[in-house]
Amino acid sequence: MELLRPSSASELPGAGNGLLLAGGTEVVPLLRSGLVRADTLVDVRAVVPRGIDGARIGGGTTLAELEHAAEIPDALREACRLAASPQLRNAGTLAGNLLQSTRCWYWRLKWPCRLHGGDECFAHGGEHREHAIFANDFCASAHPSDVAAALLALDATVETSARTLPLAELYRLPDGGDRRTTTLEDGELIMHVDVPPAERSVYLKAMDRKRWAFPLVGVAAARVDGTTRVALAGVAPVPWLLTGDLDAATPLPDNRFKVDIARALVRRATAALD
Amino acid sequence: MARLIRTEKEVEGRYEEVWLVVEEDALDQWPAGPREIVGRPATRVDGFERARGEAAYTADLQLNGMLHTAVLRSPHAHARVRRVDLSPALSHPGVHAAIGPGDIAQLTDECGYQGAAVAAVCADTYAHARAALHAVVVEWDVLEPLLDPDEAVRRKEFVAPPRSRERGDVDRGLEEADVVVSGEFRTGTVLHNSMETHQSVVQWTSDGVEVHISTQYIWGIRDEVASELGLPPDKVRVVCHYMGGGFGAKNDAGDYTFIAAELAKRTGRPVRCALTRREENVAAGNRNATIQRLTIGATSDGKLTALGAEYVNAVGWDGWLAPTDGPLHMLYACPNVRSTLYGARLNTPPMKAFRAPGFVEGTFGLETLLDELAAKLDLDPLELRRINHTDHDALDDRPYSGKNLLACYERAEPHWARRHEVRARSTDTVKRGVGMASQIWYGGGGPPSYAWVRVGSDARATVVTAMQDIGTGTKTAMAQIAAEELGIPLEHVTVALGDSARGPYAAISAGSSTTPSMGPAVRAAAADARRQIEEIAEQRGTPGAPVAEVVALLEDAQILGKGARGPNPTGMQVLTFGVHVAEVAVDVETGEVWVERVAAVHDVGRVINPLGASSQIEGGVIQGIGHTLSEERLVDPRTGAILTTTLDAYRVPTIADMPEIVTELVDIPDEHLTNLGSKGLGEPPIVPIAAAIANAIRDATGADVRQLPISREELLRALREAAERERRGAAATV
Amino acid sequence: MPDLDVNGHRYEVDAPVGTTLAEALRDELRLTGTKVACAEGHCGACTVLVDGAPTLSCITLLHAVDDARVTTIEGLRDHPMVASFVRADALQCGFCTPGQIVSAVALVEAHPEPTGDEIRHAMAGNLCRCGAYPKIEEAIRTWRD
Repeated sequence: MELLRPSSASELPGAGNGLLLAGGTEVVPLLRSGLVRADTLVDVRAVVPRGIDGARIGGGTTLAELEHAAEIPDALREACRLAASPQLRNAGTLAGNLLQSTRCWYWRLKWPCRLHGGDECFAHGGEHREHAIFANDFCASAHPSDVAAALLALDATVETSARTLPLAELYRLPDGGDRRTTTLEDGELIMHVDVPPAERSVYLKAMDRKRWAFPLVGVAAARVDGTTRVALAGVAPVPWLLTGDLDAATPLPDNRFKVDIARALVRRATAALD
Repeated sequence: MARLIRTEKEVEGRYEEVWLVVEEDALDQWPAGPREIVGRPATRVDGFERARGEAAYTADLQLNGMLHTAVLRSPHAHARVRRVDLSPALSHPGVHAAIGPGDIAQLTDECGYQGAAVAAVCADTYAHARAALHAVVVEWDVLEPLLDPDEAVRRKEFVAPPRSRERGDVDRGLEEADVVVSGEFRTGTVLHNSMETHQSVVQWTSDGVEVHISTQYIWGIRDEVASELGLPPDKVRVVCHYMGGGFGAKNDAGDYTFIAAELAKRTGRPVRCALTRREENVAAGNRNATIQRLTIGATSDGKLTALGAEYVNAVGWDGWLAPTDGPLHMLYACPNVRSTLYGARLNTPPMKAFRAPGFVEGTFGLETLLDELAAKLDLDPLELRRINHTDHDALDDRPYSGKNLLACYERAEPHWARRHEVRARSTDTVKRGVGMASQIWYGGGGPPSYAWVRVGSDARATVVTAMQDIGTGTKTAMAQIAAEELGIPLEHVTVALGDSARGPYAAISAGSSTTPSMGPAVRAAAADARRQIEEIAEQRGTPGAPVAEVVALLEDAQILGKGARGPNPTGMQVLTFGVHVAEVAVDVETGEVWVERVAAVHDVGRVINPLGASSQIEGGVIQGIGHTLSEERLVDPRTGAILTTTLDAYRVPTIADMPEIVTELVDIPDEHLTNLGSKGLGEPPIVPIAAAIANAIRDATGADVRQLPISREELLRALREAAERERRGAAATV
Repeated sequence: MPDLDVNGHRYEVDAPVGTTLAEALRDELRLTGTKVACAEGHCGACTVLVDGAPTLSCITLLHAVDDARVTTIEGLRDHPMVASFVRADALQCGFCTPGQIVSAVALVEAHPEPTGDEIRHAMAGNLCRCGAYPKIEEAIRTWRD
């Protein structure tokens, strides 16, 4: 295995020629547990911008930096503050956090599930208390990113090395023809995230211990230009913008409690915007 | 003077009659209260070594030429190895040897649980061994796993014959009762997850075998290895100077020690076999799940007339019957008690002892249902416990050597009195309440245990014994005892432990038995040294001269004292007691529970080190909060595969989860127990916390939780059930 | 070949790409004060400082830190935090303790007098199975005493 450390975009190897990583908190464990394989690793920390410039946040900014940034919207700061552990926040980047994989134990233990290219979702009929309550028919994995839910509620825009797109379009539901949950092409880097100013925003997180746990349900609510947007973490294979109400949820037999939690937190989050 | 006696040896409630050589225990106990050193807070004598990272754990050991092992463990809950071919692994780079089913007893081709060891490869590095292991060809016949404990009982798949016990007549007791409550309680499977994983480094020498192992029982490992390898025990040297936690899972040699031993023999090199964290979560033992069907009857004055229970321990592929039925028979006065305890044999990894095995689970069911009884009788829960207090062991019909549970209740009163003020701080969405639960457990220790004390002309002493300190601070307690007995400063005492070749037999560090077993032996050894020093002083015509003055004469000569643990008091039940009072807050909309405060009051006889004792209590409470609220091993219901194999999925408490903890020790020496009057404290603090929390939840919300862990979904279910009960109740009064 | 600055000393480490910082410290440099308890970044036992920031050495690639200053528990042996932990009895089996102390030192460098909430938030990534947490908090609160 080799590690390339390009000092600029022009030094990047071509698409498909290396596994990209920054802090490594996602990639290194996946490599060591055999969930991904690579002959070439590409450390992109010198290529992806880092830092906050008004509404523009570099993709290489760490969660720890965002946790302490008074100038960013409350929901984003709070999502970073409650994410992961202090050590993981020191290394984990904004871009990396948006692209993290599910914690679904079937996926993580390499069962031949749909996300691994197979034709069964083992959470159905298995243990699924932590799994999705929306869009869970094909794959019931839950997206674990608190930060993505906050940015979705804040109506953020992502600027990659190839294009600019609303955050929602960064994600896609896996389907029979394509099992990916992001729309990034090979070698495409998230360079910046643009976060419009919000009048008010809030992030509430339900997790199984007080710190260092993934969201059972995370609720981000933001008022941007007079419009209220609510987005959820931990409830669908992708970060979930709540457009209707929670009665549209399709929980599995053992995760109905997530709907109850979501109801309470959505009510509290939207009330907190007033 | 040594005697051969027949005595009762107890570990974790399992009694056996043994012949033992003991020294006469002729010392009087010290009067109650803190002494010069014993009974006063002492920081750990090895605190700096541990804190600075200087302490060498088994995981840190690097011997010349040491090889590393990767173990092929069954990924299936129930499978037969149809074919295994190790030869592809042997040709991998860095590989030195590989072994498979039949090479040693611990490698099997009949796998009754996920994690059963099938084959092992050793290589220059762990990465090499693991890569080679992937090349091993294995063909499996995957078989249907038996996973449901009730189904195992139906099929009579037991690890041991069911145990039924009865005193009096429970059916008549239920007829006599004014109120009867029953319920089904379930506790989940809990994993030890010590920070240092299970591991051994084994090296053969011309004179035998050396085993470096992270263990709770140096001498037990010695005997187990000697027996298994067909060696005289003195040819087996077992070393453990520092170990990173055990909690009961490291009482035996496991499979890894024998895998390492065989590979070390074949290669002529030292071999490490260490479990990975994932293997810890799968194959290193667990506190088994239980199903408890309980019935309690009482008259309206609160006196229990009947206690009935059926317990199913989901033991796993093998193991033993943890005494889930213990508290039912032992905690309270009740003339009629009946229980049946089943040990279900399942295709799940075998249970191992885990900090008060059986009693944690059994106390949860009993103490939680008792509070339901208290509510029905409209009696204060603490008062209900007092009403049913027994000052005589009802199970075996004997007196206690020492019991101060009433004193514990009295010390709990001010904490219990906070409940009105705590409830008053409830809001619409966050309800607060207070709950309590009693604790009973063992902790008397027993013979044999031996120590030597060496005093030189510098008036410094070394205590020598082949014991282990598993993190409880027993090493420090031994130093305190020796210093107190000799009348020298604590800083002048060194404790040399951890090596079976360099010290006499020492007790296991399990069953809360280290302090009560080793302590008296150390005191006896120090007393022996002191008497010799006093004799010298007499001979010199300076009786009563200080130790330092007398030994200054010695030059190269030394005073050698030896001591042994005497027998336990015959015909007496030696137990520990306590009570927890827990304050919780419950978010009734999201099902979140947080524990805000715990008062833990414990009666463990004389306390040697109040600082270390408070740490043990805090640690037990926090570990108990883990199994109460956030820890559960999950298993795929179709295949039996373990799903929670990592520490992000198996959630132990973080520092953010801890409540305020107030620790109180009654600290009354047990006058019948040894020359110290001390009992063990390792397990008592984990026993009652789950019930105290469940009872606090009921106090706060009226909800009856019946399951551990008290997950969000369990709490929301109980809240809905309580609301429904209230609606029906309100409708009935209309 | 990565050139590591550990506790102010420079070391050349000959190890393949993919080697973690924890492996380099423990196996190549024989600095075994840093413990590995999970090897997946979940427990914090392996915490070291990389340019002053608490970092999980078990999931940090050696080759990604060869221009950084690494501080391990060996480099903090005389820091007052060590004595504070011993004084407060903030350890039991001690296996997690080096990682706890490293995280604690970084906390008090940034906030010399942290509140209880700040301590619990900053130390949440260091698991202790023995449950020494109450005294760990006390040790950090009283580190200057």
